[in-house]
Amino acid sequence: MFVPLAILLTLLVYSFILSLLAMGFTLQYITLNVPNLAYSTLAFASTYLTLTFTLMGFTPYLAMPFAFTLGGIISFLVYKFITFLRNRGTPIVGLMIATIVFDLIIYALMNIYADYLAYTFKLYVGSFCLTEYDFKIFSYPGILLVSAITSIGLVILFTFILVKTKFGIAMRAIMENYNLACIDGIDTEKILAIAWFLVGGIAGISGSLYPIWFAMDPWVGARMFISIFAACVLGGLKSIYGSLLGGFIIAFSEIFITYFLSIYFPWIWAYRAVISMVIAAITLVKMPTGISGYLQKIRGK
Amino acid sequence: MIDLLFDILIFFCIYTIITISLNFQQGYTGIFNLGLYFPIIIGALITAFLPGRVAMLIYGINSKLDFSANNALVVSILKLKLSSDPIISISLLFLTLIITVLVCYVIGFLIAYPALKLPVDYLALFMLCAGESLRVIGMQTDWLAGGVMGIIIINPFGWLKDFSYYGIGIFIILLTIIIVLIHQKICNSPLGRLLKSIRENELVAECIGKNVNKIKRKVLSFSFAILGIGGVLHAFSMSAVVIGGYTRVDFSFWPWLMMIVGGTGNNLGVLLGTFSLVIMRRIMIIAKHFFLFLPFNIVWLEPILLALLLMFTLIFKPKGILSEKPLEIKKYMEKTLKLKT
Amino acid sequence: MVSPILSLGKNHKQEKNKKLLIIENLSKRFGSFYALQNISLSIPEANIVLLIGPNGSGKTTLINCISGVYIPEEGKIWFNGQDITGKPPHEIVKIGISRSFQIPEPFKKLTVAENLLLCSLNNPGESFLNSLSKNLWKKYEKFLIDKMFNILKVIGLEDKIDTLAEELSGGQLKLLELGRLLMLDSKLMLLDEPIGGINPLLANEILFYIKKIKDAFGTSFLIVEHRLDIIMKYVDYVHVLFRGNLVASGTPEEVTRKKELYDIYLI
Repeated sequence: MFVPLAILLTLLVYSFILSLLAMGFTLQYITLNVPNLAYSTLAFASTYLTLTFTLMGFTPYLAMPFAFTLGGIISFLVYKFITFLRNRGTPIVGLMIATIVFDLIIYALMNIYADYLAYTFKLYVGSFCLTEYDFKIFSYPGILLVSAITSIGLVILFTFILVKTKFGIAMRAIMENYNLACIDGIDTEKILAIAWFLVGGIAGISGSLYPIWFAMDPWVGARMFISIFAACVLGGLKSIYGSLLGGFIIAFSEIFITYFLSIYFPWIWAYRAVISMVIAAITLVKMPTGISGYLQKIRGK
Repeated sequence: MIDLLFDILIFFCIYTIITISLNFQQGYTGIFNLGLYFPIIIGALITAFLPGRVAMLIYGINSKLDFSANNALVVSILKLKLSSDPIISISLLFLTLIITVLVCYVIGFLIAYPALKLPVDYLALFMLCAGESLRVIGMQTDWLAGGVMGIIIINPFGWLKDFSYYGIGIFIILLTIIIVLIHQKICNSPLGRLLKSIRENELVAECIGKNVNKIKRKVLSFSFAILGIGGVLHAFSMSAVVIGGYTRVDFSFWPWLMMIVGGTGNNLGVLLGTFSLVIMRRIMIIAKHFFLFLPFNIVWLEPILLALLLMFTLIFKPKGILSEKPLEIKKYMEKTLKLKT
Repeated sequence: MVSPILSLGKNHKQEKNKKLLIIENLSKRFGSFYALQNISLSIPEANIVLLIGPNGSGKTTLINCISGVYIPEEGKIWFNGQDITGKPPHEIVKIGISRSFQIPEPFKKLTVAENLLLCSLNNPGESFLNSLSKNLWKKYEKFLIDKMFNILKVIGLEDKIDTLAEELSGGQLKLLELGRLLMLDSKLMLLDEPIGGINPLLANEILFYIKKIKDAFGTSFLIVEHRLDIIMKYVDYVHVLFRGNLVASGTPEEVTRKKELYDIYLI
């Protein structure tokens, strides 16, 4: 079956970005037991950094370190706020609302920035796509290489940190049993703060790559949250590598299923997010513990 | 001036329906629903889709015309017909409401099966994503609700001519009062007590004989129906449906703030919270004119304000203005049951 | 301290051999760990049965299996001839078995009165449609409130009626747990350490009251307790659990004489 090159490229770039994002989301969820509702928005806020650098004449990839810093800082602030409230005994409902606070602020700031560009520079960036500013490698778009290296590299780096470094082992201890980790003398506050900063930074980088291939508008963050949620549900709510796998499967479903359906129903492209939502709903009914939970069950038997 | 006040009142009523239902779900039963806009959008979609087309059928309007594609034309034809036919107009209104209640109840019931099994945090996420998905569907599907541009709908009170806005307004106020009274009755009955017990400790509620899953499903379905009604009324009050306007910020997060500020678990508190924030938001729209010098659209200050208010409430007054009132048995016996102590 | 309720009950005719609860080869596993292994026992009507054993022997697990909180991997549980294995807790309560919790689990933000009033099986005010019309549930509420006042007298919490459950002391919470069960009028009550943290005088009063209920209504009790000094004299039969196995059963006299009991507790 002939699949256009553009679709394959889209699939690859999307998979790399989505799986990284899903993995990061799950990591934050496991460490604090609070889903970070601002996650998607903070990831995609960096797209405006990419835009800015491109407008200034630089390569869009220059935004990556800045995106890392921005994502890290926002994520760190969310972490601080949540732990502050948690230490005062705020229940889970309040903690999730606390993440919404940041979601709202970033969402507003993104739109304000877009408006500012429009009013001041007459640049209408309601929807933008920066593919043309990308470099080419052997007539393939550079984003393919960059997203692949970033994604694979970061996963390998993450696994290495988790297994080989003191920091990673401490993190694993915290994820297994928070109270025990505290008693064991691990400075949980500091370790989690660093972890959240790093994850936020990675989310920022992933987000900053998005507009180099895809069209970006201020609502992408909310829509991508559906895909990230579906990826995490599919992989298993508390499994990091499950979410990674889930990210790939969801990306594959969204792009491929939509592509094949679009042959008969050309309008289906806009409904990509809905397909992920349906997959998430089916997973919750048939396989509530996700793929990782299912594999554990089989191993247990 | 009266028009302005009436406008605020309608806005208040719609939000009251939403927040009272939210208090029923979260404050009483402990169902953490961040996707309030999901059933609201269902109501809006049904309002966009149904009454216009039914009216077209009734009046035998040329089937070559489509309500959505030829919206302006069809609506103006229907306006002429309906403005001299109050019975059909009102019937269409009730038809929309009844269908919305049924559809929302069934959808709530179906969603409850997978959703209520989820731990509380993932339930919230699931509802949020469900709402967002429905928004995507609504904004992309032209024939449902006019897609991105929106769709004009019929006016069920067009026969009041100049006073049609007051017609829909008074209807909304009446319906709001009925909905609030229904919720108050339930909350002050043994069922209200039961819901609170489910919120406090689901396992123990099961172990004293309560079928917790069934009750939570009923609460969710019922609340979906109520929120659907809210969506229908909002659509009719706007005389148009623009799905793009039903954002999670406006129809999920603001109601959450209203409930938290007023006092979770206390219906009167929730009303207070809704009232004060509705007034505040309406004042902000007027105050907008003082901020025109800013190089961006001032609507984006609203989410920031919402965020700051949420932050302050969480830090300083997480229990809200009016906290939940515990039962006083003597008062209960005298006032509610009319017994002598 | 004789409650008006008891004067309503007639002395129950005891069918000596009628088995209320029959447990057959019950096993409960957590992963590869067997919390209960091949437990078989029965509880007749109008009997106070004591379940003892060191910590971790599976006593609470057994209560959880009977009450439907856990689903056993193997075995069956029969109540009044009906197979109740694996049924959800709310159904089992309706069938006639209720339980208390070792660590009291009250509805924290509800008052003592509300905690008790919730324990009714057929309150019309708890159905969605009926709750809207006060006339449909006023009568039943009055009946419930009367019952509640009587039970408050028994457990001694009358002055705490409007207190939030989270403000009660540990001992008072235990009394509330008991109060809840008394409201439910079950045929079989599973009590998990009912007199833990309660002064001996009150403990004896409560146990005496339990015995009176048994005599008046034929209710059976399965009690998990460690305070053998207080409870032994009220008990008709004893079962001893150790590491998930039933190691001894008999009347209090028989069991206290058994050497194995001392061996177990001295480990």
